[in-house]
Amino acid sequence: MPPLNPIDAPEAPAERPLALRGLTLQGRPLALGPGRQWTSVEELRRESPAALPASRPDVELPREVTRRGFLQLLGASTAAAGLEGCWRMPQGTIVPYHDRPVGVTPGEPTHYATTVLRDGLGVGLLVTAYEGRPTKIEGNPEHPASLGATSVYEQGLLRTLYDPLRAREVKERGVPRAPESFEGALRERIGRLLPKKGAGLWFLLEPSSSPLQAELWRRLLAALPEARLASWGPSSDAASHDGTRLAFGRPLAARLDLSKADVVVALDAELLADDVPAARAFADRRVPQGRMNRLYAVEPRLSVTGTMADHRLRLRPSEVGPFALALLAAVAKRAGGAPAELQSALHAQLGAAVAPGFVDAVAADLVLHRGASLVAAGRGQPPAVHAAAHAINALLGNLGVTVTLAEPVLLDPASGMGALAELIRAADAGKVDTLIAACDNPALFAPGDLDVVGSLGRVPFSAYLGAYEDETAQRTTWFVPRAHPMEGWGDARAFDGTASIAQPLLDPLFGGRSIEQLLARCTGELRPVHELLHDFWRTASPSADFELAWKEWLQRGVVPGTAAPAVAAAPDWASIARTLAAAPPAQSGRLEIAFYRDLRLLDGREAHNGWLQELPDPVTKQTWGNAALVGPTTADALGIQSGDVLLLELAGARARLPAYVLPGHADGAVSVALGYGGEDFAQGAPLPGTNVAPLRTVAAPWLSAGLTLTKSGEREELAVTQEHWRMEGRPLAESATLAEYRAGIPGRGTFPEQHGPQPSEYAPIPYPGYAWGMAIDLARCTGCSACVVACASENNTPVVGKEQLIRGREMHWLRLDRYFEGPAEDPSSIAMPVMCVQCEDAPCEYVCPVNATVHSDEGLNEMVYNRCVGTRYCSNNCPYKVRRFNFLDFGYEKDPIEQMLPNPDVTVRSRGVMEKCTYCVQRIERARIATRIEGRLIRDGEIQTACQGACPTRAIAFGTLSDPEAEVSRLHADPRAYFLLHVLGTRPRTAHLARIKNENPALRKA
Amino acid sequence: MPDELQLPAPPPDPLEPHPVLSTPHADAGLNEQLFRYVQLPPGKAWWLMFGLSLSLVGLLAVAVFVTFGWGVGTWGVQIPVAWAFAITEFVWWIGIGHAGTLISAVLLLFLQRWRTSINRFAETMTLFAVMCAGMFPVLHLGRPWFAYWLIPYPAEMGVWPQFRSPLVWDMFAVSTYFTVSLLFWYMGLVPDFASLRDSAKRSWQRMVYGVLSLGWRGSARHWRHHKSAYLLLAGLATPLVLSVHSIVSMDFAVALLPGWHSTIFPPYFVAGAVFSGFALVATLIIPARHFLGFEQVITGRHLDNMAKIMLVTGWIVTYAYACENFLSFYSGDPFEIHLAVDRATGHYALAYWVQLFCNCVVPQLFWSSRVRGSPIAIWCASILINVGMWLERYTIIVTALYRDFLPSSWRSYSPTWVDVSLYLGTLGFFSAAFLLALKFLPIVPVSELKELRVELLEHRPKGATPPGVAHRA
Repeated sequence: MPPLNPIDAPEAPAERPLALRGLTLQGRPLALGPGRQWTSVEELRRESPAALPASRPDVELPREVTRRGFLQLLGASTAAAGLEGCWRMPQGTIVPYHDRPVGVTPGEPTHYATTVLRDGLGVGLLVTAYEGRPTKIEGNPEHPASLGATSVYEQGLLRTLYDPLRAREVKERGVPRAPESFEGALRERIGRLLPKKGAGLWFLLEPSSSPLQAELWRRLLAALPEARLASWGPSSDAASHDGTRLAFGRPLAARLDLSKADVVVALDAELLADDVPAARAFADRRVPQGRMNRLYAVEPRLSVTGTMADHRLRLRPSEVGPFALALLAAVAKRAGGAPAELQSALHAQLGAAVAPGFVDAVAADLVLHRGASLVAAGRGQPPAVHAAAHAINALLGNLGVTVTLAEPVLLDPASGMGALAELIRAADAGKVDTLIAACDNPALFAPGDLDVVGSLGRVPFSAYLGAYEDETAQRTTWFVPRAHPMEGWGDARAFDGTASIAQPLLDPLFGGRSIEQLLARCTGELRPVHELLHDFWRTASPSADFELAWKEWLQRGVVPGTAAPAVAAAPDWASIARTLAAAPPAQSGRLEIAFYRDLRLLDGREAHNGWLQELPDPVTKQTWGNAALVGPTTADALGIQSGDVLLLELAGARARLPAYVLPGHADGAVSVALGYGGEDFAQGAPLPGTNVAPLRTVAAPWLSAGLTLTKSGEREELAVTQEHWRMEGRPLAESATLAEYRAGIPGRGTFPEQHGPQPSEYAPIPYPGYAWGMAIDLARCTGCSACVVACASENNTPVVGKEQLIRGREMHWLRLDRYFEGPAEDPSSIAMPVMCVQCEDAPCEYVCPVNATVHSDEGLNEMVYNRCVGTRYCSNNCPYKVRRFNFLDFGYEKDPIEQMLPNPDVTVRSRGVMEKCTYCVQRIERARIATRIEGRLIRDGEIQTACQGACPTRAIAFGTLSDPEAEVSRLHADPRAYFLLHVLGTRPRTAHLARIKNENPALRKA
Repeated sequence: MPDELQLPAPPPDPLEPHPVLSTPHADAGLNEQLFRYVQLPPGKAWWLMFGLSLSLVGLLAVAVFVTFGWGVGTWGVQIPVAWAFAITEFVWWIGIGHAGTLISAVLLLFLQRWRTSINRFAETMTLFAVMCAGMFPVLHLGRPWFAYWLIPYPAEMGVWPQFRSPLVWDMFAVSTYFTVSLLFWYMGLVPDFASLRDSAKRSWQRMVYGVLSLGWRGSARHWRHHKSAYLLLAGLATPLVLSVHSIVSMDFAVALLPGWHSTIFPPYFVAGAVFSGFALVATLIIPARHFLGFEQVITGRHLDNMAKIMLVTGWIVTYAYACENFLSFYSGDPFEIHLAVDRATGHYALAYWVQLFCNCVVPQLFWSSRVRGSPIAIWCASILINVGMWLERYTIIVTALYRDFLPSSWRSYSPTWVDVSLYLGTLGFFSAAFLLALKFLPIVPVSELKELRVELLEHRPKGATPPGVAHRA
C-alpha cells in the first residue's frame, strides 16, 4: 500500500476508507463504507455526503478551520517564516488488484456504446470508462442522432451521475424505508386493482420511445386494461405532433433533412442548438466553396438558430403565426397549384400580413428553390403554425425530400399539457386511486392552472420515481430514487426510428431504479431488466444467431435496419384551411411573454448539474439562473436595466425574476427560460433562477399576451460571463457576405493582412516532428457550447459557483465569445470559440518567473502546474485572456463520489495554480504511445480534442501543421483563415475561419 | 569652542531665505535637545498613536491569515484584472522608499548640506517602506509557500528561475536595495548610537546602545574608516536610485498590454518615486519636527528645498503623463488609443482625474514662496501627492488590464475588505515601526549636525564654504 507520493510521508491514511480511490472502484462500492453503522437517520444524514454544507458548489470561505485548511495555513506560514517543505499535497492510498479482472488493464480506458433518452428519443453515446468508472462521454458515430457528436445535455450527464446529492433513500411520506418495502406496497396495491381491471390506476411518465417500455405497457394493459397512461414533459414537443395531425389527419413525425435544403425558414424554431444531425447537415452547407444554403429566422428571442441566420426577422411571439400564414399565402400565390379551399382561407390573411417585404422576399426565394427548401416551426409555436409550415412544404414539393414523414416513434406522442390536465381532472374527481409518476417534477413545473399539489393530495397511493427529492417527492406517498441513464439497461429509438440498446456503465450508485424496472414490477415481473430486454429483443427479431447480433448491437450501439420507413401522407387541405381560418390574429398593444426551453437544463432535470448551470447560455451568456429577456427598445420604454428585479404578472399568476436586456429581442415581448427555480431538498437551499411555470396555462403553455411588468426596485446581479458585446471596431470575430468574399475585399472574408509571417529579428524555430495546430471555422460554429462542457469533462475544470463567477473567476478553458454588430435593436451576432491559441511567440512564456509555462518541441505552450507559483503575470500578458487561475480551492475532491468524476489522465489543479487549454495534450500522448507501439506516425484525424469530438458541426479541426495534407493545414491555407490579434505578432497555432453570410440580395440592408 | 557662541544671523539671500541650521546650542546642547525624546518615557500621544498603528497591524495579521488560509481569491482580483491592489501598493511603497536613497546617497555625493538634518528620517522611512513593499509580492502569489522558487538556488531538480521575467529582476533589485539601504542606514547610525550611549541615563540604554554602537569611541581612525565606508556605500546606493524603480517599471513595460508596454516607463517611474518619496518625507517630518521641537535643526530651508524637488519631479511626472497620452494617439494603434480614451472617460476616470489633479496641479503651489514657507501647506500638499501617486499606480495597473484586447473578457475590478485591510495594515506597520524609531533611535543624525555646525561656524565670514572640506574628516 505505497503512498501516492513516495517523497511525502503518509498522512493518517488509515482513517480514510480504502475504497475512495479510483483503482478499487468496481461499480458500486461507495454508498457507505464497509461496516458503516448508524443509529438514527439524522446521524446518517449528517455524516453522509448528502449533508454537505449548503455552499456546494459555490466556493465560500469555510466557516471553521478544516484539516486541509489548517495544513495550508501551516504550510504557508512556515514557508513565510523561511522554513521550506512543510507543504504537503493531499494524500491517499491506492490498492492494487489482488487478482486482475479479465480484460481490465488499470489505467487503460475501455469504451462502451450506450444510449440515453433526450425528449424520449434515443441518442447514441460512446462512454470512456476506467476500471468500471465512466469518465467521459462522446457521441457514437454510428448512431443517426449523434453522428459522433453530442449536445450539451449528453456531455453533462456524467456530472449528474456522480452527484452525491442524488436521492438515495426510498421514502414513504418522508420517512426512509427499506427498498423492498416499496415493492411490497406496490405488489399489494396492484393486487387490489386486479379485480377492478386496473380502474383508477394511472401512470404519469415522461415521453419515451423505448420499445421495451412499450412492450411492458402492453403486458400491463393485458392484465389491467383500465390503467391509463399520461405522457408529459414540461417542455415536450406536443405542438409538432398536433401540427401533423392537423395537416395530415393523423399524428406523424416530421424529420427534417437540412442537407438537401437550399433555403431554410425557421419559424421560432431552434433547429441548430441541440439537434446534432440538423446542425451537421446545416453546417456542411455553410462553406462558401460549396453550394451555400440560406437560413431565414423569424423569432421573438435571439436563438442560436437566429445567430446563424442570414436574415433574421424579429417578431412578437403572436406575430409568428400570422407571418406563417402570410408566407403560406405568398408562396401559394407565387407557386400556384394551391387547392381551392386553401385559397379561400388565405384570402383573408393577405391583408394583415406582417413584414410584407420580408415575406415577399422569403416566398420568392422559397419558390425559386422548390423541392429544395424547408420551413420548420418551433415547439413554442401553436399547432396551427406547424400546420402552416407543413402546408408551405407541401406546396413547394418539399415533402419527401427535405421533410420526411414517418410514424411517430414515441410511445405516446400526445405528450402535451392536455395529458396532464386529464390526469388532474380525474384525480380531482376522485377517479385516481393509484398514481405511478416518473417525469420531471410535475408539482413544480406544471402550468399554473393545474393544481398538481392539491390533486396529488387526493390520490390515496402515489409513487414518484425521481433522481432528486424534489417538490413532487414531497407530495407523493412514496418516493423512489431513480437510476441514472448510465445505471440501468434499456433501449430507445432515435428520431428516425433507429433502435439502440442502453447498457449500464456501472451499478446504481445509490440504489436507484429505472422506469423499466418499475413497469416490470407493476406487471408482476420479477426478472431483472437485462433479461427482460434480452428476451424482448430475441422475440422481436428472432434469428438463429441472435446472441451474436445482440453482442454486435451492444458493441456498435445501434440495431441496424430499424429506421422507421417514410410514409407518404397527403395534406388534408380542408383541415388545414379550417385551422388557418381559426388561427388567432397577432396581438396588439399588449405585452407578450414567450417561454422557451433552456438549452442546458432542458425541462429542469439538469438543475442540479453544476457543469450545465455554470455553462453560459450561448446567446445571453448568463449562468446560474434565468432572466426575463427584454429587447432594448422595450427596456428603454419601461425604464428597465439588466439586473432590475421585475414582477411578472399574467392573469393572476406572478413570478419575480431579474431583467436581462438582450439585443435583438422583439419589442413588446418578454422571453423567459423554463426549468429553473425550485428547491434543493438535499441541501435545504433554493435552486438557481425562478420557476415561471405558474405563468403558463394548459391552453397557452408557450406564449401569452397581457403580461404586466413591474419593477420591484431591487437589483440582482446576473452571473454573466461576458459583459461587453461590441467588438469596438477590432478585427476579432470576422464575418462577411458571400458577395464580399467572392469580390476578395481584404478583411471581408479574405485576410491577406491577418495571415502570414510577422517581421522578426530571430530565425524561425524549426519543427521537424509534429507541429500541432487547430482551425476553427466560424461559418460552422453555431455557438451551441457542447465543446465547453466536453472540455470541462475532459480536463477536470472545476465548477466555481455563482458568487465566484460574478467575481470573474470562471474556469472554462474554452469560452464562446459572442459579439453583436449593428444596432442593439436588431443586431447580427456571431459566436467565436476562444481557447489558448498556443502562440508560437507566447507572451505568457517570457514573463513567468519560474519556468512554469514553456514551449514544447511540438509547438505546444505547456503549463507545468506543479511549478506554478501563481504570480498571474502570464494571464495579464495573455492578449486572449484564456488563462484561468485557481483563486481559491475550487477543487474536485470534496466528496468520495465526486472524486470518481475527474479524468485520470489530467491533473486536478490545486489552489493558486494557473491553467489553460492544452490542446488535450493527454490525448496526444495516448496517441503517441499507441503509434509508437505500432511503429508509425500519428495519422491525421487520429487525435480528436475533446471540444472537437463534441462539436456537432465539426467546426474544429486539429492536427499537425507539418503535414500539408492534414485537414488543419488545408484550413490554415483557406482564404477565410485569419489569426486572432495577428498584429501583435504572437503567431497563434489556432486559425479562425471567417463566417460567410449568404445574404438574399432582395433583403440586403441599405 | 565656547558653548555660548551663537550662530550668525543668516545673510539676506532672496533665494535662500532660511538658514540650514538655526540652533542656539553647541554640541552638548544639541545632544540634549535631540536625545531628549529618546530618553523620555513614551507619552500619552505616543501610546495613542502606537496603539492605533498596532491595531492596524492586527488587521494586517488577519488579512494575511485569510490570504494564506484561503487564497488570493479572497481579494478582488480576477481574470482579466489579475493584479490590482497588492501590486499597486508594492509599487507605491517601493517608490516611497526612493527619497531615502536619494537624500542619503545622491545629496551626500553632491555635498548638499541640507540633507544632514533629514537624511535619517528618509533612510528610516525607506527601510520600513521597502519592508511593506516586500510583503506584497509574496502575499499576492497563488502559492506563497513556493516564493523561494524565484531565487536562483541549486535546486535538486536543476530548475532555475526564468531570467527573462521582470519578476525575477524585481526580486534581485528589491533585495539589493533593501540590503544596501540597511547597511547605509546603520553605518550612519553608529556614531549617533555612541552619543546616545554616552548620554544615556539608564543602564539598559547604555547596554543596548553600547552594543549597537559597536564599540565606537570616536577616535580619528574610527572617523576615517567610517567616512570612507559611508562614502563608498553612498556610491553603491546611487545607481540603485535609478535601477530599482526602473526595474519595477519593467514589470509593466515588458508586457505587451496597451498602457503598460511603453519605453518611457523607467524614467517616468523613477521621477514618480522621488516625487512620492519626498512627499512622504514631508508628510512625516513636518509633524515630527513640530512635536519633537526640531524646528531649529529641520528649518524652513529643508522644507523649502523639499518643496522645490517635488515641484521639479511633479513636472517630470506631468511630462510623462502628457507623453504617454501623446504617444497613444501618435502611435495610431487602436488598442492604445482606446486605452487613453477609456482611462480619461471610462470606469476609472475619477481615479485618473484625481491623480492628475494631485500630481500635476497641486505641486504648482510650490511656485509660491509663501506656500513653501508654510509647513501646513506643504504638509497638505504632500498628503495629496501621496494620494495621487497611489492612484497613478492603481490606474496604470487596473485600466490597462480591465479592458485589453478582446472585449469579451472585459470586466471591471473592485477590491474586497482583504485588499483594503492589507493596505491599511501596511500603513499601520509602517507607522508603528516609525514611532518605535522616533522613540528609540537618534532620528536626526547628531554627529553630522555637530559637524555641520562647526563647518558653518568656521566659515562665519560671508565667503562660501570651500568645496570638499565639509565632510572630509
